[in-house]
Amino acid sequence: MNNVWFVYMFFVAVLLFTGIYCLLTMRNLIKLFIGIEVIGKGVSLAFIATGLANKSMLAAQSLVVTYIVVEVSLVATALALIINLYRKTRSLDIRQLAKLKG
Amino acid sequence: MVLQTILLIGLVCSSVLAILFRDLLKSAIALAVGSLLLGIIFFRMDAPYAGVFEISVVAGLITVLFMLTIALTKGGEARESKAISIAFPAFFIVFVAIDVLIMRKLLQKIPALAGPGETGTFGQFLWNARTFDLVGQIAVIFAGVFAVLALFRKGKDNDE
Repeated sequence: MNNVWFVYMFFVAVLLFTGIYCLLTMRNLIKLFIGIEVIGKGVSLAFIATGLANKSMLAAQSLVVTYIVVEVSLVATALALIINLYRKTRSLDIRQLAKLKG
Repeated sequence: MVLQTILLIGLVCSSVLAILFRDLLKSAIALAVGSLLLGIIFFRMDAPYAGVFEISVVAGLITVLFMLTIALTKGGEARESKAISIAFPAFFIVFVAIDVLIMRKLLQKIPALAGPGETGTFGQFLWNARTFDLVGQIAVIFAGVFAVLALFRKGKDNDE
């Protein structure tokens, strides 16, 4: 792999770290989801950077487009779930979910 | 590559701000700015279709969804502890240092994979080589639509 690919991978790793830090330390459900989005950005960048290095940009782009479609579906469902949880518990605190029974 | 590096640093900064802002609306806007920068990076990497999707769908639609959710859940925010924001720079610097060391060690050690030698346009590739992906995408969109419909279905609890 060429040197440019390593520069991109450096930034991919930083984005993944930022997202994982958010997932491990934050308590707000929407914040946790923002962390997942940040990780997703890192993954998209990794796909395109590898496509650029391997000269297979069409495959990389089609994977990223597929990922974005899946991401939209995921975000819509998860945010609907968050709104429903808020209606039940009146809070966005992840610790409140541990108290749910049923 | 200098401009590309500046854009990448901007992407990392906006992502960091998105998780560190205490106001959720500011976090969503920082995330949108990050998506916009990523879209520009994709354009500069010769990936215009991925760039268009990133800017229109992720920076546009997903940000609107986030803002809608933030507006609908106003008052229920769980405040993050200040220690998390204070500790972040220390962890971040340590991680970046480790990342630099690892990347410098790996430099030129990972062999390049043989590319498939693509021909044609993006549309042709998507329709011919990734047909099953497209079927999967349609299935995922329907799954998302039905999941949202099921979650907002009017039930006994919502009638009051």
